[in-house]
Amino acid sequence: MVDSHGRQPLLAANALSKSFGGIRAVDNASLEVLPGSITGLIGPNGAGKTTLFNLLCRFVQPDSGQIIFDGVSIQHLQPHDIAQQGMVRTFQVARVLSKLSVMENMLLAAQHQAGERFWNVWLRSSTVRQQEREQREQASAILESVGLAHMAQDYAGALSGGQRKLLEIARALMVRPKLVLLDEPAAGVNPTLINQICDHILRWNQEGLTFLIIEHNMDVVMSLCDRVWVLAEGRNLASGTPTEIQQNAQVLEAYLGQ
Amino acid sequence: MEGYIVSLIIFTATFALFGLGLNLQWGYTGLINFGHVAFMAVGAYTTTLLSLSGVPLILATVLGAGLAAALGLLIGLSTLRLREDYLAIVTIGVSEMLRLVAVNEEWLTRGTFGIQRFPLPLATLNPRLPVRVGMVMVLTLVVGLGFWQVWVWLQQRLKGVPRQAITTSSLAMLGYLGSLGLLLYGVGVGASQLKISDLPDWALGLGLLITVIGIGWVYLWLGDRVLSQLPGATAGLAVASGAFCLVFGVWIYRFAASALYHYSRNPSKTGLMFLSVLLVAIVFWALQRLVRSPWGRVLKAIREDEEVAKALGKPVFWYKLQSLMLGGFIAGLAGALYAWQLTTVYPDNFRPQITFNAWTIVVLGGAGNNVGTLLGAALFLTYENLTRFVLQDIIPLSDSQLGAFRIMVIGLLLMVLMVWRPQGILGKKEELTLGR
Ligand SMILES: Nc1ncnc2c1ncn2[C@@H]1O[C@H](COP(=O)(O)OP(=O)(O)OP(=O)(O)O)[C@@H](O)[C@H]1O
Ligand SMILES: [Mg+2]
Repeated sequence: MVDSHGRQPLLAANALSKSFGGIRAVDNASLEVLPGSITGLIGPNGAGKTTLFNLLCRFVQPDSGQIIFDGVSIQHLQPHDIAQQGMVRTFQVARVLSKLSVMENMLLAAQHQAGERFWNVWLRSSTVRQQEREQREQASAILESVGLAHMAQDYAGALSGGQRKLLEIARALMVRPKLVLLDEPAAGVNPTLINQICDHILRWNQEGLTFLIIEHNMDVVMSLCDRVWVLAEGRNLASGTPTEIQQNAQVLEAYLGQ
Repeated sequence: MEGYIVSLIIFTATFALFGLGLNLQWGYTGLINFGHVAFMAVGAYTTTLLSLSGVPLILATVLGAGLAAALGLLIGLSTLRLREDYLAIVTIGVSEMLRLVAVNEEWLTRGTFGIQRFPLPLATLNPRLPVRVGMVMVLTLVVGLGFWQVWVWLQQRLKGVPRQAITTSSLAMLGYLGSLGLLLYGVGVGASQLKISDLPDWALGLGLLITVIGIGWVYLWLGDRVLSQLPGATAGLAVASGAFCLVFGVWIYRFAASALYHYSRNPSKTGLMFLSVLLVAIVFWALQRLVRSPWGRVLKAIREDEEVAKALGKPVFWYKLQSLMLGGFIAGLAGALYAWQLTTVYPDNFRPQITFNAWTIVVLGGAGNNVGTLLGAALFLTYENLTRFVLQDIIPLSDSQLGAFRIMVIGLLLMVLMVWRPQGILGKKEELTLGR
């Protein structure tokens, strides 16, 4: 699987299927995400996009198909391994930990923390403190960049819906991932904030982060994505550049209704 | 009196430890453990049986707690991957099953006959004066640290409240609570006099009920209408409770210090008291460090939304297992203390009731708050002892009826607490009300 520029995809899903009872939510779907790209995933409601995310992150076991991330097969991995490998997701309805502070939400996401093994709390307490300090600084910087720094000490439950989306994205960045899967980052967010989120995504992308984004807002998809995959009724409908997709008759039909 | 206070301290420490274990599992990790007493039983039986067969006490205790942790491992491995209610069901089942095993496997547990005459810690010690003074100093240090905690909490509460308001409202609160206490005391004395006289039971019962409800109603009204209107009412309440803690603490401390000083008067109980206070202090300190560490952060994240924890790379199952095992270990230690205090171990000591005592303690103090658990244990044990010995002089009920009555009152108090302060006494309100 090598594209026209000879680049190996960062994430490649091949012929994934998943049924829930009688419903084939994802039906023989494939997808590729090139390193350094912003890839879009679109499709009508109920097309199976979120389910595909769940399959990619191993939250749901696929019935069949292969997933390769960063050159290795991740079929046998647990959901938590996926994040440790450098692929992190957000949820369609933002899931912040409302009883922890905004800062604690951020710190939780950091990987390889010595202090997450309870014996280290005593045996390597200075390392733990040192790491905690560094992560706090890093988290502050990210919060600063999304405009949440002034709420760092508040309970995350006190954030508005849009702010929760921002926190969830910021938290995903704390993982220091290679690939971020965003499930409708613009849903329920006001237009100004949408623009802000887009700017951030572009900036982080320039810093080397790869994105796979589910989005219904076509302006967002058109302005961000290098390549778009279209899913309908669990199956691949089309893929191509945003302009190609916009002119694809099948896609228009799927969106506007048969 | 001194002996009584000493055993009250031991029981409180035992249940504080027991509650701290449950608070780690449920309060911080959200694991519903309805069979906490099983860990205590394993700790108690293992420690006493091993020490009877000649294993040194320290080793026996550690092995007992270790075996309790192993029970946690077993339960966890079999249920933690399933939906969370399975843990609740399995823990109830396991705790009852263990009790039945203890009744029936007489070769091991001596059945309902029970285990007696096992070695007690520090019982043969006859410390010389400098050692005893040292022990008193350690006790003083622990109590001092406790007071310091209260002081820190008070300062948090009083932050930003004007001094004038603090003075008036705390005086008002002291008057309010003090007069309520005196009034209830008066009712108690009056009722105990009437009980001796030939007043028919139903009349006394009815009179008591009406009086208590009347007093309660008046004071609720006062509190609602008058006190809560005072500026800085909560600060006043905090000062009043702080003052109460101070007075009560010093009063208790005096007995404990005197018992330590006169160690040889009752070496086994005094030694056990010293040990249990020390153990609670150490475990509390260790847990406080843990729950504030990144490790504790993961537990709190799991409590709230384990999918998020997974998505962020945390092996949720492994953390739940650790929490269950560590909580079990602590409960196992509590089991050893329990056995030493009772000096006999019967299967009946480990009825499901004990698990629910732990739940009461944790809920009372505020889930996910270790200080709250300590406070909950103190309140619960005080209630238990007060009512056990005082109520029978006052209320015209038979002993078995009184037992049921006391549990009913606890239930009632918990219900009132859930309405008035669902987060528990020291819990944080935001942790309940901030929805997703
Ligand atoms: N856990 C589940 N159990 C049963 N059916 C499910 C489950 N998850 C998804 N489905 C079904 O799979 C189909 C695809 O759902 P999915 O959430 O993936 O759609 P989507 O493309 O994300 O839609 P939207 O744009 O509305 O978010 C739907 O018909 C849904 O009912
Ligand atoms: Mg979706």
